[in-house]
Amino acid sequence: MNASTPIHGIVFDILKFAIHDGPGIRTTVFLKGCPLNCLWCHNPESKDARVEISYLATKCVGCGACVAACTRGCHRLTDGMHIYDRTACVRCGGCAENCYARAIEQVGRPREVGEVLAEVLRDRPFYETSGGGMTISGGEPMAQFEFTRELLARARAEGLHTALDTCGFAPQARYAELLPLVDLFLYDIKTTNPDRHRELTGRPLDLIHSNLRFLSGAGARIFLRCPLVPGVNDSDAELAGIAVLASELEGVEEVNVEPYHPLGVSKTERMGYAEGYSAPIPPPEYAQKMTARIAALTAKTVRRS
Amino acid sequence: MKKTNRFDEDQPFLLRKFREPVLDPSTGMTNEEIRQALAARVSDWDDLPRPVGKARVFEFICDNMAIAIGPHDLFPTFACHNRHRRPFDVVKNHWDGILNQRLKHWNDILEGNRVGRFMLWKDFDHSVPDWDDTLRLGFAGILRRAMEAKAQHAANGTLDDDARAYFDGIEITYRCIHRTLTRFADLARAEAAAEDDPRRLRVAASIEAVRDREPRSIYEALQFIYLYFMFSEHIDFMQVRSLGNMDRQLIGLYEDDLRTGRDTEEGVRECFDYFFMQWISINNYWGQPAYLGGTKADGSTEINALSYLILDELGKLRAMTPKFQLKINHNTPRAFLRRALAMVRDHNASLVFICEPGLWRILMAHGASAEEARTCDIRGCYEAGILGKSNGTGSAHINLLKAIEFALNNGTDPVSGTKAGLETGEAESLATFDDFYAAVCRQIGKTVADGITYTNEYEPCLEQVNPANVFSPTIRNSLRTARDGFARGCVYNSTGILFIGAATAVDALLAVRKYVYELGVVSLAELRDILNRNWEGAEKLRTRILNDPLKYGNGIPEVDAFAADFCHTFASFVNGVPNARGGCYRASIHTARQFIELGKRTGATPDGRAFGDEMSKNASPTMGMDRQGVTALIRSMTTLNPLDFPGDFPLDVMLLPATVRGEEGLEAMEALVKTYMERSGWAIHFNIFSPEELIEAQKHPEKYEGLQVRVCGWNTRFNDMDKREQDAYIARALNIAD
Ligand code: SF4
Ligand code: SF4
Repeated sequence: MNASTPIHGIVFDILKFAIHDGPGIRTTVFLKGCPLNCLWCHNPESKDARVEISYLATKCVGCGACVAACTRGCHRLTDGMHIYDRTACVRCGGCAENCYARAIEQVGRPREVGEVLAEVLRDRPFYETSGGGMTISGGEPMAQFEFTRELLARARAEGLHTALDTCGFAPQARYAELLPLVDLFLYDIKTTNPDRHRELTGRPLDLIHSNLRFLSGAGARIFLRCPLVPGVNDSDAELAGIAVLASELEGVEEVNVEPYHPLGVSKTERMGYAEGYSAPIPPPEYAQKMTARIAALTAKTVRRS
Repeated sequence: MKKTNRFDEDQPFLLRKFREPVLDPSTGMTNEEIRQALAARVSDWDDLPRPVGKARVFEFICDNMAIAIGPHDLFPTFACHNRHRRPFDVVKNHWDGILNQRLKHWNDILEGNRVGRFMLWKDFDHSVPDWDDTLRLGFAGILRRAMEAKAQHAANGTLDDDARAYFDGIEITYRCIHRTLTRFADLARAEAAAEDDPRRLRVAASIEAVRDREPRSIYEALQFIYLYFMFSEHIDFMQVRSLGNMDRQLIGLYEDDLRTGRDTEEGVRECFDYFFMQWISINNYWGQPAYLGGTKADGSTEINALSYLILDELGKLRAMTPKFQLKINHNTPRAFLRRALAMVRDHNASLVFICEPGLWRILMAHGASAEEARTCDIRGCYEAGILGKSNGTGSAHINLLKAIEFALNNGTDPVSGTKAGLETGEAESLATFDDFYAAVCRQIGKTVADGITYTNEYEPCLEQVNPANVFSPTIRNSLRTARDGFARGCVYNSTGILFIGAATAVDALLAVRKYVYELGVVSLAELRDILNRNWEGAEKLRTRILNDPLKYGNGIPEVDAFAADFCHTFASFVNGVPNARGGCYRASIHTARQFIELGKRTGATPDGRAFGDEMSKNASPTMGMDRQGVTALIRSMTTLNPLDFPGDFPLDVMLLPATVRGEEGLEAMEALVKTYMERSGWAIHFNIFSPEELIEAQKHPEKYEGLQVRVCGWNTRFNDMDKREQDAYIARALNIAD
């Protein structure tokens, strides 16, 4: 606690009034960087651990401030047309800082634990009336372990309820270290089929499962968070797999179903990414159907998150 | 008595009741015919003492109007159906004209309204009778009590000419009400006999009952409230700005109804359905207020079985009106709060949450006893008044942005070109931000002072235009003092001054401080010229300012502190200043629709707003400028000192449906309300929409007939708004979705 050297993390958003990330009204701190590469990821700007630059051409007013700000010549204005060439960009954020039209924005910035905590504490009155607190999410918070541990510890010292949203892909020892600092784990299960898991996320499933079992065995409170994508990871066997995990593991209190939500096209464009996975939004009944199907197979609470 | 499905059959007829009333011409004249008849003899009553003259007009209307009962209703039909064309209007405007000719400042008022410095008018819209007393009295009891008071004055030697005229006005009016009720009852009996309809017998009996004595069942009480409303609002031109604390005031009768078997729960529900349909049909744009809840002397809640029943029926009818304020406190049952929040989320009713702890503190700080604070009435949108002892008018709406325009233009209104403000110096001469700030404060001070001067001139004469013959005898202090209850007969006769555009003014001032005086991006004179050109040629500067996060409503401590200071400054020009009715002025930060109306008359402002755009609503941030979400908004809002705004102080919250879906959503809304309450908030209400939904509704209005949005203290159908207003809602929703 009160580490003498300030610890920084790359924070990509601090979302107030988050009410689907654990109990009550919460503030969710989103960290950048994720070891998984899920096919349907709707938060692709959280994958890369580094600062990124988003650019939305429709907001550009052609003022040229970015051209002047960038020492690497990434921005050009020709005949009032603004071109952003990312090849030489080192993501210093200098242009974003000068773009008052907010066409260029810096995604993620290094922030010190104390500063983030102060921001989180501003909403303490709302946590108190709602039984809420702080959630750390991402990205994958375990990818910035030092920062995550410190933020959790200091939030705890302030008496905040803490939740950690994790994909489970980190060394077990680290989870062991966080156990006493986390009131609730929001533990992502993408699929219970090992081959499918590797295909869909690029990573093996076994570490994720063993960590889950470890946490449950060590007395953690866990909500399983299951993003379900129609026709991708919602087969009978996969739903049954989720139900089995929930039933078997004492620590699992709830299963939260998260129906697929497509990533906005503008987001891809803004970040300069290649087109990602896109499928239509599932109908509103989808979440209910999935919830009911899992609920039929386990005694644990199953809800849409 | 057949009850099943009768309401469903009757509902279409009820809906038409106040739109195209079905009247028998043999019973009298239509609304328009009465108006014409009055217009033809508009000066006939000028020489009588005003209360008597008005009572004679009241008689003329009642005795000549057509009436109906009919097979579809539990409440009678008056020819005076159209609240936009009330017959007394004709004479009132005539008397108003006589008064205005005598007013030294009449032209100043017209000019100020035209320029948009303020909006100022004589307010006859905010009275609430003492429902506790009147429900114990009935119509005969009200008159009896008034005549006893008259006798007392006679005995005390205080029955001078004015007092005599006051009591005569009441007596003529209430005798006329008695006659009219008899006319209704007789018609109901005749129809019942002719068509063998027992329900109309029941209607007749209820009318006779409240004519002769106090109501003794829920049905009689609702009949009384409805009739009082009609006589006061539609005939006597005195708005009834609350139907009362309905659950508290009626629970005894409800329990008696059930205990004695006089009525069943189903029957009572049906009564409320018919009752609410009256206002759904009237369809007053601002809605008809009533309220629920509160706290008993022993600290427990007033919420009871009737509170739930009323919510149920409102939800069933998806009624935008009556609109209900819910007095909530720590003792409010969670189930009740939850149910109300769910109704708001699902757009099933027009509800606002009034937080007692903050409200009590404010009322006590401004002179109310603890008991008076606890039992206060909620009236209009969110305002509070001491029950049975107070009458507040709202006179002047002050345009804060116009004061900024004046300060930039040395007192000249750039929109109209007239010198309407103070000469506080040319922009070139305002060397520091403090110079500029002081100029703005002086301009506001001047507008407020003028507003007060003009109001003081006409407010003592309110009873010369519209003496409150129906309302006065409901107020004990009015009878005791023989003074008009609306004008100055209450114990507390306050006058509200409402400030419009507070958040936008804060944003504008901060923009000037930063861009003119700190960064030196433009000079004040250049900025003035840019604004007078409506940002033409300075679009980039405008974008820069609009995107600057330094805006009220984002929980930024520095901005909020500045806002609190600024608000305190202008509020203190108002609070406690004696008015001309024996009370004092009260500041309020409630805009009603004036944020739109005054916006139309206000040029571009330094916060980035363009000419004609609306300004901020209530104490809310400027549209689109709150980017940090609802918790930051509540932090900002509760940094203002609530004691500065004894008038009122509402918070508008807009949320996306996705954010508050499910049980957690409801829990979160509950926690927002509670946190706001703990931070001494007064009134909080919600708009819950997605931009997609609103855009769809704009494109396909036919599919969204029922979609309601919240304007200020009332709901309106999205379809009924003009395109510009709809666009403003869509922009707000897009902003929070961003
Ligand atoms: S600074 Fe922003 S607005 Fe100006 S040219 Fe660059 S991207 Fe466009
Ligand atoms: S982030 Fe830095 S390097 Fe990249 S374009 Fe902007 S200023 Fe240039």
